[in-house]
Amino acid sequence: MSQLRPETFAQNARSALADATLTGALRRATDTFAERRAAAIGQVPDWEDLRTQAAAIKAATLSRLDHWLELFVANAEAAGTVVHWARDAAEACSIVRSLAKQHGARRLVKSKSMATEEIHLNAALALDGAEPVETDLGEWIIQLAGETPSHIIVPAIHKTKEAIGELFVDKLGIPPSSEPAVLADHARQRLRAHFGSADLGISGVNFGVAETGTILVLENEGNARMTTTLPKVHVAVMGIEKVIPRLLDLEVFLRLLPRSGTGQHLTTYQSLLTGPDPQGQGPRELHIVLLDNGRSRIVADEQMRQTLACIRCGACLNACPVYQSIGGHAYGSVYPGPIGAILTPQLAGLHSAGTLPFASSLCGACKDVCPVKIDIPSLLLELRQRAVEGTKTQPPTRSRWYERLAWRGWAWFTRGPRRFRFAMAMARLGEKLPFVQRLAGPLRAWQSSRELPKLAKRSFRSTWRGGAS
Amino acid sequence: MSAREQILGTIRNGLRETAAVPLPPVRRGAPVAVAERAARFAAVLGRLGARVETVADLAAATARIAAVLDEAKAQQVALSDAPELAAMAPAWRNGRRLLASDAAREELLAADAGVTFAQWGIAETGTLVLETAREQNRLASLLPALHIAVLPVARLLGTLGDAFTAVGGDGGGVRSRTVTFITGPSRTADIELTLVVGVHGPKHLHVVLVDDAR
Repeated sequence: MSQLRPETFAQNARSALADATLTGALRRATDTFAERRAAAIGQVPDWEDLRTQAAAIKAATLSRLDHWLELFVANAEAAGTVVHWARDAAEACSIVRSLAKQHGARRLVKSKSMATEEIHLNAALALDGAEPVETDLGEWIIQLAGETPSHIIVPAIHKTKEAIGELFVDKLGIPPSSEPAVLADHARQRLRAHFGSADLGISGVNFGVAETGTILVLENEGNARMTTTLPKVHVAVMGIEKVIPRLLDLEVFLRLLPRSGTGQHLTTYQSLLTGPDPQGQGPRELHIVLLDNGRSRIVADEQMRQTLACIRCGACLNACPVYQSIGGHAYGSVYPGPIGAILTPQLAGLHSAGTLPFASSLCGACKDVCPVKIDIPSLLLELRQRAVEGTKTQPPTRSRWYERLAWRGWAWFTRGPRRFRFAMAMARLGEKLPFVQRLAGPLRAWQSSRELPKLAKRSFRSTWRGGAS
Repeated sequence: MSAREQILGTIRNGLRETAAVPLPPVRRGAPVAVAERAARFAAVLGRLGARVETVADLAAATARIAAVLDEAKAQQVALSDAPELAAMAPAWRNGRRLLASDAAREELLAADAGVTFAQWGIAETGTLVLETAREQNRLASLLPALHIAVLPVARLLGTLGDAFTAVGGDGGGVRSRTVTFITGPSRTADIELTLVVGVHGPKHLHVVLVDDAR
């Protein structure tokens, strides 16, 4: 699964569509999420105003991202956090690797984070024999299976409980079960040992608050709290677009994000972390790795800038008819669905992911559900245009000789009334000949699913002459 | 050039022609009247599978918690260092071990119940707010399968925005190294979207509201 690439999107999509288990599971999951979301936002009378406010906060922040980032970093450092800057995936990975080495960390735990998936952090740490254990239940299942997540919020959405049961029997030696509660309990027991002995914890960041230097992590299971509390070192990987100006802005985003993602009014846990906690029960060191990896380029792009407003709720995935049918893997990128189709080509380049913006019917469902009002359909169109312009560097192919001859003939016959009348008479005669019913040569393909149009029994000219009877 | 300079430089350069979009004023949720808060808190949190009960004073809370610990057959109880709990805890001993907030990790990991004294509650969302500047509460509220929280009704706030203001959104910075919002027992729906309550964090959340003014 992990070797799928965006370049082969068409093939990926075809094989996904042929997988009945996958399409069934996807349909159930996306339908359920869409229903839960609708029910949750139905209870918020000012939903539209909240979206407008969130979009305005993001637009304001992005228009002076340098300022808010510097403020965030200054306040984080004042609280005792060590901030690192990473230009790209390789630099981010090498920062985390050297932090692990510096602390002699052999046992690492990690909570779910799209940014760490984006930079392929696990593979980089594995080079030092220090691959982190994924602790979110869905991510752990995927890690045990050697696969990649198929959904931003529910990484193992493509796996049935029976498949997960078999995987646990195989990898953990548990007695067979396909009961989600039993399987979750095995995960609890097994991962507890990892939490207890881990010397470094890695998490993502949902929001970074500039005015206080605080990072916020949202979750339901408690694994992120374990990861950010128990090991003596906590490393948080944060995209530079995650910064928001004020602590009180969190209220708006917390009203929007869980409802859009899972339909909850709030996720079970929010951890607001401001610096390490050496005197308390938390980590002695807190490191934040600020990740650029193409984002600063997107900031500069007036039209595409709003891509960075995304808060990774997953609502556009659940709403998208293409995603509903093929799932996340077919996109061949860390970020699937409509947001992936605009984000991936901008991060990875149109040369490798230029097919993704075409993976949409432009129905607009993604735009309707987006809690920060990203105009995904317009951005898809813009990227399509850029992808096509990128291929225009080759000279246009010359038309073929028979095509040129046909057009020249058409031109000659239509230039005089007599010639035209003659041509139409010949055509009416020709229509009656059986071999003309089937087109030959390059036109045969066109006719494979179409009827050749018939000429009218009486031409317009003769009707005009004879009077409209 | 350092990574910091380069990233900030690219952003600055890219935004050279862009006018700063003004930041909109803070938007706050509709307030919740003080009189409605306890009922709303209990209703919202109760729907998520937590047990919420109201008692008249700390003595009654102490007795209720003793009963809950008995019922759960808890042998090892992790406590936060809240001074209020220090006065209540002797009544919970009854043959069981009480673990202080600075007990060894292994012991805390093996505890089967944890008790904290919450700093705030949010009525709108049914949320407990735990601040580490007031109480060492991170482990007692996370590791054991049962988390019991005492919450005086006077500490119930209306909205999420009230809570952010209370923990430091008034401009003074966030007072606590860690602020934890807890809304129900730990849960997951990662296997076929089937809800399972109690995965890594507590399986049971029990809130004892203390309504002194009742």
